[in-house]
Amino acid sequence: MVLLTAAAHAHIASNGFLVAHVDGRTITGSYELAVRDVELAVGVDVDRDGKVTWGELRSAEPQIIRYLKQHLGLAAQGSTCDMTIQPMQVNERVDGNYAWLPFTARCSGEVKQLTIQYSILDGIDPSHRGLLTLNAGEAVQTAVLDGKSAQAAFAVFTPSKWRAFVDYLHAGVWHILSGIDHVLFLLSLLLPAVLLRRERHWEPVAQARPALVSILKVVTAFTLAHSITLTLAALDMVRLPSRLTESVIAASIIVAALNNIFPLVTDSRARIAFAFGLLHGFGFASVLSDMGLPHGARVISLLSFNLGIEAGQLAVVLTVMPIIYGIRAGAFYRRGVMPWGSAAIALIAAVWLVQRAIFPS
Amino acid sequence: MHMRDVQDGRLRLSRSRLSCALSLSLAFTASWAAPYVPTNDAQVIAELPAGARHTSAPTREATAKRLDIALPLAQFDISRARATGDLRFLGYAEAILQPWLDRSAVAPQVLVLNATILQSRHAFAASLSELDRALKARPDDAQAWLTRATVLRVLGRYDEATASCQHLQAIADPGVTTLCTESLRGLTGHLDDAYAKIASMPPQGLAPEARAWRYSELGEMAERRGDDATAEHWFREGLQLSPDDFYTRTACADLLLRHKRAAETLQLLSGYESMEPMLLRMAIAHQQLHDKAAVAADALLSSAFTVEQQRGDSVHRREQARYLLDVSHQPAAALAAAQENWRVQREPDDILILLRAAQAADQLQAAQPALQFLGQHGMQDVRLDPYRTT
Repeated sequence: MVLLTAAAHAHIASNGFLVAHVDGRTITGSYELAVRDVELAVGVDVDRDGKVTWGELRSAEPQIIRYLKQHLGLAAQGSTCDMTIQPMQVNERVDGNYAWLPFTARCSGEVKQLTIQYSILDGIDPSHRGLLTLNAGEAVQTAVLDGKSAQAAFAVFTPSKWRAFVDYLHAGVWHILSGIDHVLFLLSLLLPAVLLRRERHWEPVAQARPALVSILKVVTAFTLAHSITLTLAALDMVRLPSRLTESVIAASIIVAALNNIFPLVTDSRARIAFAFGLLHGFGFASVLSDMGLPHGARVISLLSFNLGIEAGQLAVVLTVMPIIYGIRAGAFYRRGVMPWGSAAIALIAAVWLVQRAIFPS
Repeated sequence: MHMRDVQDGRLRLSRSRLSCALSLSLAFTASWAAPYVPTNDAQVIAELPAGARHTSAPTREATAKRLDIALPLAQFDISRARATGDLRFLGYAEAILQPWLDRSAVAPQVLVLNATILQSRHAFAASLSELDRALKARPDDAQAWLTRATVLRVLGRYDEATASCQHLQAIADPGVTTLCTESLRGLTGHLDDAYAKIASMPPQGLAPEARAWRYSELGEMAERRGDDATAEHWFREGLQLSPDDFYTRTACADLLLRHKRAAETLQLLSGYESMEPMLLRMAIAHQQLHDKAAVAADALLSSAFTVEQQRGDSVHRREQARYLLDVSHQPAAALAAAQENWRVQREPDDILILLRAAQAADQLQAAQPALQFLGQHGMQDVRLDPYRTT
């Protein structure tokens, strides 16, 4: 019989969806195959009523997993990764329901060259394609896998160390300059550095040298302290709840500012800077944990983030110092800026304290 | 928020979900809902189309060894693809033919079936070359000549197509030969006469497939003549004869949509949502009705097109242009897609979408080649008339 050919229209062709996230030597992800393709591959409609129930699909899970392991392989630098397939779920797509199988693959080394062997529906539907989304770091690669090439190799881009260095340095600087709480804390410690406390009065320092030494001590103490806690927290060795650290940071600003109005500690502000610097370090760490440390560049990123913080801090000091040194002798500075500026800082910090302690976001 | 509502078996989308999906640009996943674990073992996860079943290894070995088993099986899959518009069946047929295509001397019947698969995938040049190979080995292969005529017709190469039809005279059913030649005359300046000839063919004398072809051909011809009421009658007759006729159903839907009969369109296409071209027509109908389902249909289509693009497929170029024009309202993009489509295929519907997109984008000169083509062949189609005068 002659087969009649009307002009062609068509339905969506068969696709399998492979999503993979590469992280060091581990690959996590999911693979999806249409339920009707699962039927073709392993035969799940046991009662042959033309309908695949969840019960039928579930009882075929071991065969499905076996098929998957035979026809989908991941290898790092040529050595096969050990794939564990987690319990199956169902996902709905434009052409029907899919069996959705999450997986974890452990490779023998850090994944640099990922090879994917793909032969799903080989010999059953040659028009089947595997649509791959490969995530590594911030890079996303997509590719079409087919049975003809059998294997496809992908270079996994781990973020370059230089890139990480620049990014985290930038983040550090930006965090200090936009994180007004650290700037205010620093300011509270800087304001009295150009003055001397003598007989319950503030007097301007005669020369730049003692002022510079005082600032150097304060900044060094603060830096040392927050570097210690930042490192400990970033490497997950110590952990504090962020509500607590954020509240205590606010409190530290109040204390430093009030100390300028009602001086208790006048000659060892470096100690205050050190003690509270420990807390600020935890604050910096929480920013870093939001960003995450890139795999393979953890230490360098931590270091550059810290360097960025120091650079930002230095910028604040270099901006503020000449100004307050210049106006230190006038009554405006000693009776205006010192007490009232400090009072304003304390007030702002008090508002933060209430917000952070009582209404944490 | 719960994104999924499948109570009546149809998928609905909330607006927020859609905007979220779009902003994430869908990317490779093109999935609009999260995976879930069904709670009920009795829940039906998939309905399998007839013929989409697991084939045991011995059966597959048998088809690789015996051509008399392979050919009818492949032919069955191709006819399923044709009837349902389901591309997967083409893949199944391809799998059956593969071992036979790998041989040094390929049997002409295998080449013809492969050409049909290629044609259905809109790989027209490859299809023609397989047909020429087959005809060299078997010059009296009626199927090869008919498929060749069809491919050439889609490409707008009417003289060559007519020559192919004429080869059928001595070797095929006279009804098929008449349909083949008259349908081409209907595109090349003899519409009324060709229509009268096909309409006067007694349907009883035709094989079922030829009868279905006659109905869809008559419907399209009546539409081009501007007699939509009669066209609808032919389409509905055709659908009564073969409800699975995917081609006739979309043609009928297009006719209804032109008359803004959206509710009837939805009724006609209900149950065919999983087929992209049907879904496209449903999306247009939903837009005409300004109902909420329009958003969901749009999202489904856009994910289907995304997946196709990722695969590198270009089967649905015409649909893509239509989607961009009528659903997502991007005339410039629609025109680009319609031009791309025009480079490949030249049926009246391809011309229509190109002209409509060009007008919507206010770039009628972009459709100049199509207007020239119309004039050159004397093609009559009242749907195209408004564009000729401008």
